[in-house]
Amino acid sequence: MRIIGVYNIKGGVGKTATAVNLAYVSAAAGFRTLVWDLDPQGAATYYFRVKPRVKGGGERILRGQREIDRVIKGTDFERLDLLPADFSYRNMDLVLGETKKPAKQLLRLLHPLAEEFDYIYLDCPPSISLVSENIFRAADALLIPTIPTTLSVRTYQQLLQFLDGHGLAKISRMPFFSMVDRRKRMHSQIIAEMPRHHPEMLSTSLPYASDVEKMGTHRQPVGVSSPTCLAARAYQSLWAEVMERLP
Amino acid sequence: MPGTALKFRLPDSLVLTDLISTLRTAFPMVEEPPISLARSYYDSFDWRLFQAGKVLWRETARRQQRLVLTDTDEEQSGEFQPLSGQMPGFHRELPPGRLREQVAALLDMRVLLPVADVGVTEQIYRVLDEEEKTLLRIATGSYRGTIPGSKGSIPLGGWLRLFPVRGYLKDLDRVQSFLGTEIGLTPASGGILELALTAMGTRPLDYSSKLKFHFSPEERADKAAKKIHLHLLDTLEQNLPGTLADLDSEFLHDLRVAVRRTRSALTQIKGVFEPSAVERFKERLGWVGQITGPTRDMDVYLLDYADYRDSLPERFRKDLEPLHDFLLAHQRQAQRALSRKLRSKAFQELMMDWRTFLEAPVQNSPQGVDGALPIGDVAGKRIYKIFKRVLRQGLAIGADSPPEALHELRKDCKKLRYLIEFFRSLYPQDLIDPVIKTLKALLDNLGDFQDMEVQALKLREFAHEMLREGEVPADTLLAMGMLVDGLLNRQQRARDAFAKRFARFAGKGNRAAFKSLFSENKSSESLA
Repeated sequence: MRIIGVYNIKGGVGKTATAVNLAYVSAAAGFRTLVWDLDPQGAATYYFRVKPRVKGGGERILRGQREIDRVIKGTDFERLDLLPADFSYRNMDLVLGETKKPAKQLLRLLHPLAEEFDYIYLDCPPSISLVSENIFRAADALLIPTIPTTLSVRTYQQLLQFLDGHGLAKISRMPFFSMVDRRKRMHSQIIAEMPRHHPEMLSTSLPYASDVEKMGTHRQPVGVSSPTCLAARAYQSLWAEVMERLP
Repeated sequence: MPGTALKFRLPDSLVLTDLISTLRTAFPMVEEPPISLARSYYDSFDWRLFQAGKVLWRETARRQQRLVLTDTDEEQSGEFQPLSGQMPGFHRELPPGRLREQVAALLDMRVLLPVADVGVTEQIYRVLDEEEKTLLRIATGSYRGTIPGSKGSIPLGGWLRLFPVRGYLKDLDRVQSFLGTEIGLTPASGGILELALTAMGTRPLDYSSKLKFHFSPEERADKAAKKIHLHLLDTLEQNLPGTLADLDSEFLHDLRVAVRRTRSALTQIKGVFEPSAVERFKERLGWVGQITGPTRDMDVYLLDYADYRDSLPERFRKDLEPLHDFLLAHQRQAQRALSRKLRSKAFQELMMDWRTFLEAPVQNSPQGVDGALPIGDVAGKRIYKIFKRVLRQGLAIGADSPPEALHELRKDCKKLRYLIEFFRSLYPQDLIDPVIKTLKALLDNLGDFQDMEVQALKLREFAHEMLREGEVPADTLLAMGMLVDGLLNRQQRARDAFAKRFARFAGKGNRAAFKSLFSENKSSESLA
């Protein structure tokens, strides 16, 4: 089992679309894949048409009072399952804070799923919190969608500082450009420069595409609604690159 | 979903469109475009997957191929593996992944062979909730089965199958009970493969190399002996096509075991046939043992090659590659010679003569002195006699005894084992099983002792032969020398372990068991 956290301090960078689409590609390639929608907004859950509710409440999962595999829902796609979002996740920091090893709860919860899934994608809420620290400790790799703007570069560096400062230097970091609009000069400029300072950047970048925006209407991965579009192909190659880079 | 009904036979009288409209009144459903599925089921000749409760098939749908491994009910979600190109034969040729790991553990050296083809055009309906999320899939279709390589298909009837979605079991329950109470369908058990095989007049597990006889003690000895020989001859002939085609090494192995058991039975079930016939067939069957030997030798080395290689330190492993090439080339050569001999007139005549002899009805006045005796007496007497011989020989073996003494002992132990296995149905299972187990443990030890030596000597022979055939890197010969050393070490370990193994075999408990089961003065009351 490999755990991939899709994370950025900033919101609105294409995290959920990345988690959902990569998980779809992974399952289609034959791997048993799970998406855990950790964001109380429940966008990934919405895309999969699942009700954003964990039976008995998400808190009980976090407290280990309910077995995690009992709340997993099958999506419409073979081998692709979802741990739905729950509105109670908005209080996740508080719940985690009450536990014994607050930064390692997620890892403990995911452990029993090792036999059942090949890949787990965590769709993470933005900001740095106890939740994100949990994600950093559980994940084998952090996939970081980054819009090519000056501000994004800065948040990426903030993240690196946080990781280095919390004994998390080992986690594999995989930043990649997301929502790229090549007509914008700043985008082209940063795409040219940033990899020089950060050779860990993946070479695949995701275009700013209406097919991705329409996921909210279709409520399907782009690989299903428009399998040949540019975005669908970009997710394919992003997945292949991630697979290659995974430790 | 273990234990839940996911498959329903559709009665021929049922109109499918009516069924669907009735379902639609109760459940919101959408129809998917029909999908044509072609499934080819695979297993080894001796059904290793099925025996372990597994079923493997290659499925082709919408020009995509995949392999699926499930439990025999074919309802568990199982393992999937996308497949491109040809269907692999051996597990090592499968794409890497969990499916391969599971298949490898069961299949070992055996090749996958097609056992049945099944085709269906399925209509799939998705049961939806108000968010248009799929809660369950319902598939209907008429199945057709084909025996691989034959023409024409056999109808397997109309079926409705349910594909549950994880976390939506209540919806599955609702549809299941609706199908039962409203439509009157009854769930069916078993998988599609079993269904297809039954319809086509075959069944899984139609071949096993294991001996299974059912004798009653009063049965005439010559009759019982013929039954044993006929079964062994069937086994031999069943393995012939696979041996000729060299599908995998196990065909030849099973064929050779059948010959060895036959020869042993001819001499050990004494006095049941005419002595001159026994001599004649023993000799002719000995020839089969001889002509099959060289190929088997090469097979054994090829099967063990990976273990040999891995027994060397990593940096020397590559040095062994010329040996692998040598083995492959010689296996092919030996196999060609073997095929020729197995297709020869001499072999065919032997098969024919032997079968004619066995199928001739036994005469009232038996041809062998003990032919008309009850098999219970003959078997017990022979087994006990050989047992006493084995005891005597083994007890005489000390630390200084030559290897030959152990080799001789092994021969007699084998005879003993074959005899007990032929006649195990005459004795209570709970008493005979531990006896066989102790004997097997001793035989394993003796087998290790002899095989390691034979293999070591053979490797030396190979080295000389490789030199005769051309240039061999010195490193290769050195690596082979290391193998010889390893083999001889293992042989010594087997020698060290012998005394303890034999002591268990010769122990009070085992001796008492043999006596009560087989000894003449106890035989009548101890027979089952």
